[in-house]
Amino acid sequence: MKPWRRLALGTLSVVTFVVTWEVVLALVRWDPFFMTTPSHIGTALREQLLGGRLWRDIGVSAEAFVVGLGLAVVVGIPIGLVMGWRRRAAFALDPLLTALYASPLIALAPLIIITAGVGLGARALLVFLLAVFPFVFNTFAGVRCTDPLLVNVVRSFGGTDRDLYVKVILPSVVPYVVAAARLAIGRGLIGILVGEFYAASEGLGFAISRFGDTYRLPEMFAGIVVLAVVAVGLTSGVRRIEASVAPWRAGRR
Amino acid sequence: MRGSPFIAADGVSVTFRSANRAPVAALADFDLRVARGQFVSLVGPSGCGKSTFLNVVLGLQRADAGEVRIDGRRVDGPAPDRAMVFLEFGLLPWRTAEANVELGLELRGMASAERRRRATELIQLVGLTGFERHYPHELSGGMKQRVGLARALATNPEILLMDEPFAALDAQTRDLMQAELLAVWERTRKTVLFVTHSIEEAAYLSDRVIVLSARPGRSKAEIDVRLPRPRDYEMRLSPEFNELKLAIWNALKEELKAGA
Amino acid sequence: MLGSTALLLPLVLWEVIPRIVTLPRGVRLFLATPSQIAAALGRLVASGELQQHFTVSATEFLIGLGLSVVVGLPLGVLFGRVAWLDDLVDPFVTALNATPRIVWLPLLILWFGLGIWSKVLIVFLGAVFPLLVNTYEGVRNADRVLVNVVRSFGGSSWQVARIVVLPGALPYVVAGLRLAIGRAVLGVVVGEFFGASRGLGYMIASAASSYRPDVMFAGVLVLMALSLVLTFSVQAVEARLTRWRPEAAKTF
Repeated sequence: MKPWRRLALGTLSVVTFVVTWEVVLALVRWDPFFMTTPSHIGTALREQLLGGRLWRDIGVSAEAFVVGLGLAVVVGIPIGLVMGWRRRAAFALDPLLTALYASPLIALAPLIIITAGVGLGARALLVFLLAVFPFVFNTFAGVRCTDPLLVNVVRSFGGTDRDLYVKVILPSVVPYVVAAARLAIGRGLIGILVGEFYAASEGLGFAISRFGDTYRLPEMFAGIVVLAVVAVGLTSGVRRIEASVAPWRAGRR
Repeated sequence: MRGSPFIAADGVSVTFRSANRAPVAALADFDLRVARGQFVSLVGPSGCGKSTFLNVVLGLQRADAGEVRIDGRRVDGPAPDRAMVFLEFGLLPWRTAEANVELGLELRGMASAERRRRATELIQLVGLTGFERHYPHELSGGMKQRVGLARALATNPEILLMDEPFAALDAQTRDLMQAELLAVWERTRKTVLFVTHSIEEAAYLSDRVIVLSARPGRSKAEIDVRLPRPRDYEMRLSPEFNELKLAIWNALKEELKAGA
Repeated sequence: MLGSTALLLPLVLWEVIPRIVTLPRGVRLFLATPSQIAAALGRLVASGELQQHFTVSATEFLIGLGLSVVVGLPLGVLFGRVAWLDDLVDPFVTALNATPRIVWLPLLILWFGLGIWSKVLIVFLGAVFPLLVNTYEGVRNADRVLVNVVRSFGGSSWQVARIVVLPGALPYVVAGLRLAIGRAVLGVVVGEFFGASRGLGYMIASAASSYRPDVMFAGVLVLMALSLVLTFSVQAVEARLTRWRPEAAKTF
């Protein structure tokens, strides 16, 4: 009964919000430079999706995002595994990586864009820099949290290091990695958007900022809606995977 | 029993209702008489309503039918004459041992300096001197339960309700705590209602053992324990004790099969 | 020891290599050695320029964070206790939380201009959610047994809240604050990149555009230092407030 209620109330509030917005602006005078209505946004959305460049922009952003995220996975997880497995590696790398993680790396974005240009490489690099840390730290924590009892069980049957990795450590680490993916996606999205806002000639972030600059509010909101849908879709998707893979709650929204 | 009973339960019935399931009758028509200063144990199969009854006496659970009277007055919510020792200890993890002992006094409105004095007194009574400033996670199970006991005794209730207080402890600690409890009880002589799954524990500690039937619980048998006090460990090995246990077991075993 | 080496080695290499090797002109334009950065930092402090930018950023940060505490905590408690309210608001919270805040920047600049308020709102939007969600979780996770204990001594609902629910929720709230602070710093910086005329983010972005990597890195350094100080302070407070908890693994 509860999930049904949740869906109903949620839909109700969204619909009420949109309708109120539309109705209020129908009754009150407003300046198109500062505001727009849901119906205008809807029209713009349809136009852009059917005929405009929006798909192309989405594709360009997606490309850089996927490449950057993929690199983060491929680099971050092994580093995390090594740190978890070998204490000395952890001692060596932990301070440096913690310092980097705690700093606002996004502040380097202007430098990266100016140095490396606005192509796929530069933007993927930005996504990578932001997304790699959750993978490193969560994999690290996942390895460290492996149940020592299970390790003993495998060893007692004569298991080698490789057996340990494959049969115990990797499966234990999976929930942590999935949680990391959720964080990394969020941070990666920020990276791609900041990069495109700063200097780009295409991409979803570029589209939104350009529409904003030229006071084309309906188109700008349309872009934001698309982005919101993608963002929510990605994070709920990961969250669902997390729920099925992890009895251990990674926590919040 | 001479005179009117201190605790009198008549026809107590409790039924739990929830939205998606059929109602569950925990207690049905339960009667009990307890004299002042008696130590009474309740044993019975799982789910027979023993803990529910304790909650009714405490005043946190309302009975659907029947009533409980204490010294002639109807039970109608928690009151200072009763205190409970909980199964899972129920210690506030962010408070030290002594702050936990003070909790009941705080809630009953005692002033700070006096609370501290009383808490120290009780910590000494349960043998935890030196551990006042420790947090629950730094204490063993037995120690945690001593804090729980101290807290319950701090408000000087006339009735002590104990809900399987030693179930979460290992066997040795359990034996130790039983002896401690008896020592404390000898000094304070509260009226105790003690819920347990252990026949041995019930026989060792009590003046009377009440056996409840399987759900819905009602009083099936009452067995008087005529062993002398103070009790000591050797009594557990005596033939009288074994006969006692057998009597309780005979009453209980049918219910266990019925409830399983 | 290994850790400090790992930290120092890149710095040393960074300083030394450009002196020894002649780097291609392109790279030299964008690279500044640690000594150059230190020098730039010194100049900025002496001229008071750094302090000016810092004050602007700090103001935006503090007002935004303050607002998010004032809004986030009470709402978190409210949603924790009134279940259907949470259901009602959930779509908005989820959408706002998942969407990177930067997309609101053009709109906010349109409405509020280049002054501090557009940045304050970006900070608010980022910081309010961890606080709200964590407070909510903290309230909802109140231990049932403890509630019964307090009630068994005749405690009222208010006493239950004061003695059990709020202290129990505190570790969650502080963890939320730690997350909120991180996001607030990011919000200030990114907001100032694109829509400001003053502030640390502005300083960094304009230094980058005018090919002054030493100033730019100096700014980044200040931000990093600030971030580290804030994070560690909150962690210290968190550790002190949760002394009573058994240890747990560090994850995010």
